[in-house]
Amino acid sequence: MPLLFPSDDALDVRQRYKPDIIKGDMDSVRTEVLDFYTNLGTKVADESHDQDTTDLHKCVAYIRDFTPNLDKSNLCILVAGALGGRFDHEAGNLNVLYRFSTMRLILLSNDCLIYLLPSTHHHEIYIQSAVEGPHCGLIPIGMPSASTTTTGLQWDLNNTKMGFGDLVSTSNLVQGEKVTVQSSSDLLWTISIKACNG
Amino acid sequence: MDVMIHSSTFLLPGNDHSSSVTYALVVLNQRLPRFTPILWNHAQVRVCADGGANRLFDEMPLLFPRDDAIDVRHRYKPDIIKGDMDSIRTEVLDFYTNLGTKVVDESHDQDTTDLRKCVAYVRDLAPNLDKSNLCILVAGALGGRFDHEAGNINVLYCFSTIRIILLSDDCLIYLLPRTHHHEIHIQSSVEGPHCGLIPIGMTSVSTTTAGLQWDLTNTEMRFGDLVSTSNLVQGEKITVQSSSDLLWTISIKKR
Repeated sequence: MPLLFPSDDALDVRQRYKPDIIKGDMDSVRTEVLDFYTNLGTKVADESHDQDTTDLHKCVAYIRDFTPNLDKSNLCILVAGALGGRFDHEAGNLNVLYRFSTMRLILLSNDCLIYLLPSTHHHEIYIQSAVEGPHCGLIPIGMPSASTTTTGLQWDLNNTKMGFGDLVSTSNLVQGEKVTVQSSSDLLWTISIKACNG
Repeated sequence: MDVMIHSSTFLLPGNDHSSSVTYALVVLNQRLPRFTPILWNHAQVRVCADGGANRLFDEMPLLFPRDDAIDVRHRYKPDIIKGDMDSIRTEVLDFYTNLGTKVVDESHDQDTTDLRKCVAYVRDLAPNLDKSNLCILVAGALGGRFDHEAGNINVLYCFSTIRIILLSDDCLIYLLPRTHHHEIHIQSSVEGPHCGLIPIGMTSVSTTTAGLQWDLTNTEMRFGDLVSTSNLVQGEKITVQSSSDLLWTISIKKR
């Protein structure tokens, strides 16, 4: 975080950007970092006993079940650093989207974002063109989709079948401000994030 | 069911002429993995996909900081640059064409990705290449835009009878087709222990493994339920058999 504020004092930045909770199996956090944040009042929830779920899974479950004072009626969980690195980690993070499919979870990296479009709904995606696009895709990661229909894309789908080994909508482009999607299977929506922001 | 044997010998330094595998290297437009020179030395044909030529030009010299940059670029000259040509810089294109690199402009074909064009090229057109035991190494296949990554993974599924390995600095990925029983020989000096088996694209009703920390026994895997991630290899050989195509992924060790 200090690197993103090069003209500010590093310690100052760290105090401004203090997490509420540190959670997970604690096999990566450095001792000095853990001490620094606990001294500032950050709560630490050690889940090292639970090796069956990923760190992200634990954090999402925590937010869903335990955060007091949070209005969860319209909750959206933003996940920074979800992509890149080891592919098995990335796949595990994508799986968290499928396992918590009734929650809004957005995976973010420097280059793009990803979220689930559940098959239970007709979707309207409002494009914030100052910060995202135009490159986008619809990815049937978990299972083939017998029928997908879209509007607002350069290459729209029209009752089109998609699946790995066949057609997957990648390197598509948004046209205009609104994209609509309806599919017979859960899909991942991904859109590029513009460089040179903020 | 036939056995398919896998071994990441392409990550080991040296050029093993006794190996029966013919390697081809495709360079895509992401940061070059630091072991790209090792892959290059194993490969008999080297293809840049469009902006991958920019990466080769800019970043190969960075892997040889004590050598003269132009010298490095001469040593690591691709045989072909192929793709829709919307990313490659003019100076890079000129540099390599002057050195004899063949350029195949596919900008008329907007329906297939750059990687797909390169794989089709290697499979169909690369002359003088013994393709009876072909393995295509793809550098820079992961990271960056997720739709690109998904498109690259889809190439593995669409060309499921060709060995194609997607590589980044952190890990490699390849397809384990359901048609075979798989033996994966672990090169523990360069890869592991973190690994996973990912049922991309469809549910796998039954997978059985040996040699992992958390082995599967006739286990169902699918997105929304169990996906084998953060697994660990134990020892030197993994076996996998599944009712569906799976992606195998293993971490690559930092030096």
